[in-house]
Amino acid sequence: MPLWENRRSVLILAGLAAFNILLISIQIPRGAEKSLFERSIFFLFSPVQRAVTGAVRGAGSLWTNYFDLRGVRGENQKLKKEIFFRNQDVRFLEDQLQFFRSEAQVRERLAAFQGKIIPARVIGADSANPYQTIIIDKGSFDGILLDMAVCDRLGNLVGRTIEPVSFKESMVQLITDKDSSVSVVSAVSRLTGSLTGKSGDTCELRYVLASAPGGQLGEELLTTGYDKIYPAGLRVGSIRSLEKDELSPIFRKIAVEPYFRFNTIDIVAVITKAGGGE
Amino acid sequence: MRETAVKDVLRAFLATLLAVLVYSLAGGAGPALLVVLNAFSVVVLYFSVRRGEVFGAFLGTACGLVQDSFSLGVFGVGGLTKTLLGFWAGFVSRRIDVAPFFRNGLFMLAMSVLEMILWVLVTAVVRRESLNFHGGLILLQPLVTAVLGSSLFAVERRLRARGSRGA
Repeated sequence: MPLWENRRSVLILAGLAAFNILLISIQIPRGAEKSLFERSIFFLFSPVQRAVTGAVRGAGSLWTNYFDLRGVRGENQKLKKEIFFRNQDVRFLEDQLQFFRSEAQVRERLAAFQGKIIPARVIGADSANPYQTIIIDKGSFDGILLDMAVCDRLGNLVGRTIEPVSFKESMVQLITDKDSSVSVVSAVSRLTGSLTGKSGDTCELRYVLASAPGGQLGEELLTTGYDKIYPAGLRVGSIRSLEKDELSPIFRKIAVEPYFRFNTIDIVAVITKAGGGE
Repeated sequence: MRETAVKDVLRAFLATLLAVLVYSLAGGAGPALLVVLNAFSVVVLYFSVRRGEVFGAFLGTACGLVQDSFSLGVFGVGGLTKTLLGFWAGFVSRRIDVAPFFRNGLFMLAMSVLEMILWVLVTAVVRRESLNFHGGLILLQPLVTAVLGSSLFAVERRLRARGSRGA
């Protein structure tokens, strides 16, 4: 009893520190896999994050809408005119398309494409390192599962869904995360390798043999689909530099600049494997 | 006394939610802001100085784990560093007068630097790899935390002075 009274604060500190160390030590052999406790905390707080982001965005858009309304009439007239000409263009293109495919085939293809995409809004980024993960406002209720590819609005690869996936929110591992790995191929010289992040704004193309010919600055990289996570043909980034790897002479050192930008990933598209999304 | 403690627990809970909000908004503004701004540290420092080391340690654990749950890093690293931050801040502020503005700022800066050193050490040990310092940008984090924390106290002091003059 006297020990508790004299050293109460130190004992509490020791208890809390031991609790945290225990949490850390539980995870170390399991790598990045999320513990039950961690998942519970995410389940508890991600709706709060979603709510506050939604409220702030709502207030912001209300303010913006007010100003937008003032010039909306003129813009409306302009858009009507533009739509008229666009419709003419579309009709012309549709006629051209009929030469190659039947209308039924085109509709079928479009429907299948839309069925494979779930649009989602980004509601947060990794608090310790923003180049590792983001959190989106779609979860298992919306058809999100683990290991689904995520693209930005331009179709550039952003990452994949990882644990935890809660009912209405999910975590996405970015391709810039150092633990991420994507099988890619260069568009022109067909250099195949594994794209790994560096937890910064660039990535690295690994396991390309020093003897492999080709590869040039600015060459585009696409997913191969070999990893069974990312569908083949997604745009990933472009080669920024090619050097000899001093540490490992059998491989080339290739720096890659990913296409996606943080300021354009407010909305992303999750590519479902089975289709049938929103 | 008990009523004040309950009020402070409630305030600390609301402040943690506010930190989640700030963190969400900072995430939308870009990666640089997330690296520089650590709202959870500001909350822990503020309440540790107000309520002492035990409250600071508990709040540090809570805030650190919430921060960890939004990160891909090892769960508990933020919890451990913020527990120690809360304890140190509460412990030292009970023995040294940290009320004056500049002393307060210096104290917050020292505490934030200590937290960062501890975080770097623990992360290096746990993940066994060198850390990404984001081109040195992360070194600004203690400074931003200190400025925000001491400004919070300055605003609180000013509001109290105005309140007592009004009464």
